[in-house]
Amino acid sequence: MSAEPAVPADALAAIRAPFLAMEAEVVDAPILQPLGLLLELAGEAMRARLFVVQSEGGQETCLRPDFTVPVVRQHLESGRSSGRYFYEGKAFRASPEPGRPDEFRQIGLERFDDGAVPTLEADAEIAALAWRAAAAGGRGGLGLWLGDVALFSAFVDGLGLAAPLAARVRRAAARPRLLAGELARADQPPAAREAGRLADLLAGLSEAEAATVLEEMWALAGIAPVGGRGPAEIAQRLIRRAEAARAPALSADQADRIRRFLAIEAAPAEAFAVIRELGGAGLDAPLADWSRRLDLMAAAGVPVGQARFSAALGHAFDYYDGLTFEVRSAALHGDRAVAVGGRYDSLPARLGGAAGSQAVGCMIRPWRAWAGGEA
Amino acid sequence: MSEPLILAVPSKGRLKEQVEAWLGDCGLKLSVSGGSRGYMAELKGAPGVQVRLLSAGDIAEALDAGEVHLGVTGEDLLRERGGDIDARVLLLRALGFGRADLVVAVPKSWIDVETMADLEEVGHDLLARSGRRMRVATKYLTQTRSFFARHGVADYRITESGGATEGAPAAGSAELVVDITTTGATLEANSLKILADGVILKSQAQLAASLRADWSQAQLAAAERLLRILEARAAARDSATLIWPADPRDAGVVEALVGQGAVRRPNGLLVAANRVAEACLALAGAGIGPVTASRPDFVYEVGCVSAEKLRQRVEI
Repeated sequence: MSAEPAVPADALAAIRAPFLAMEAEVVDAPILQPLGLLLELAGEAMRARLFVVQSEGGQETCLRPDFTVPVVRQHLESGRSSGRYFYEGKAFRASPEPGRPDEFRQIGLERFDDGAVPTLEADAEIAALAWRAAAAGGRGGLGLWLGDVALFSAFVDGLGLAAPLAARVRRAAARPRLLAGELARADQPPAAREAGRLADLLAGLSEAEAATVLEEMWALAGIAPVGGRGPAEIAQRLIRRAEAARAPALSADQADRIRRFLAIEAAPAEAFAVIRELGGAGLDAPLADWSRRLDLMAAAGVPVGQARFSAALGHAFDYYDGLTFEVRSAALHGDRAVAVGGRYDSLPARLGGAAGSQAVGCMIRPWRAWAGGEA
Repeated sequence: MSEPLILAVPSKGRLKEQVEAWLGDCGLKLSVSGGSRGYMAELKGAPGVQVRLLSAGDIAEALDAGEVHLGVTGEDLLRERGGDIDARVLLLRALGFGRADLVVAVPKSWIDVETMADLEEVGHDLLARSGRRMRVATKYLTQTRSFFARHGVADYRITESGGATEGAPAAGSAELVVDITTTGATLEANSLKILADGVILKSQAQLAASLRADWSQAQLAAAERLLRILEARAAARDSATLIWPADPRDAGVVEALVGQGAVRRPNGLLVAANRVAEACLALAGAGIGPVTASRPDFVYEVGCVSAEKLRQRVEI
């Protein structure tokens, strides 16, 4: 376990200044966070990075891996529909590489709005904030990387795939093996499956009848149903699975377009030209939004001409569901971003907030932003 | 006197009996000596070795931490230590007992789930529909996580289980389990089935060395002595000695058998145990005999493969 060295006070103040200028409410978050909730939100893959702490007889907790979830919870508890929150403090994540610090300072801002506020303005404001703060650290060779999780979703919609296949492809964007498997199956004949005949039978029945048939089958086979899935659910999925197995896999052309889409990494204008070509008219609206978003960012002082659009950026994080961005330094490897952020509208709802709310935020690591910092 | 080599062996259960039988078969008798509660022992026939009796789980931990030099424990428990265990612990010899598979098992009633890919989809459906993640009961957190990640399964939660993991789905505390099974009977009794591609590890007891322990030359020498005995006994189990009255006609057929892997002896051959009949018939066919086949107790080679591996990896 090692901690980051401190950034000199004047450099830290310079990095913090753009955040303070936002006049957000200052919030703190408990260092101990409920482990169960974080795993529920972020998935088990996160566990390897968490420092788990437990008192005798107490609830399992972990040292806060970031501030986003606690800040969302505080916002929801306040009962307000909108708010801007500034935070600064140490976060804790076990480093995947030995020797890297696993205790580090973060400065960040989360912005919540009710559904009426234009999202593009908010996106541009937060991305510009991250850029200004990173630039204030004085490190050369900074670059802004942009992505959009929703754009891939819209692109997949435009491919006209059967629903289960489309859902699988969307999930696969964040999971390289799943994606490779799906792409490799392209143009293959559907696999014959044993349960197909049963599925055919069930498909002709009402939900209640299908459930009864399944229960009778279990009884005949002497199977005691355990686990949290009922017969109706299993019957439905059997039918869906049989349909999916009969439905064609991706065509070679579709697989190729997905591959090319996710490989896009270029200047925004160039990237969007390729996306328009790959995705067709269905993407006109989101691409028009992007053109407006870039104009707003440029007006806020972000050198968007030098930015890169990476179609795969941000898919690995479960929170994000729209814009994603990273400020990277040429001096640091790409997986050690100086600042990160994005839109996560669905997270507040998953934490019990009202549906349709909007959330966007960013976080900077001063030790990486400062010119004399991380090497 | 220099520090002894510390060998950890299981202190209880079936595994303890099997390890004792294995050592005994090698001519090494475990005798409980020091320690008021009998958690220390000596290995008669292996001087310079001190035996510590620990639970199999503690042996995996002690090997990982470098608190013992050698230990016998299940590979499943070693792999569960996480990270790059092969950089910290060297597996010297698979012992052929203590066999158990670490498997992913789901309720039999899930007739729509046969593979990890099905599980991925079910987990996703559950999360999308209910906002809850599919729960996996296990005490093998590390291996579950890396196996699920390899199969692209992300929408699940682990609920840690101390014991009686297989009962978790019936008790309603989890949807499925990752657990050790030897015969599958316990899974069967709990109405669970193993996924077609759900075997995480085929485990067995291993003799392993800690690469983090402090090794002195004397301790390495004691380890080599012990390993030579164990290896010689293992080699003997797979070999047979053939002897026959000296006969000038034997040259051609012996040459042929040597070409097939037999080793020449002054008055005969050392052959693989499963080729005894074949070799004897070949000799008889050449008019050579009578051939006496017997099983050696020990076969000491000039080199000792596992000791050499250990020497290469240990820093002194």
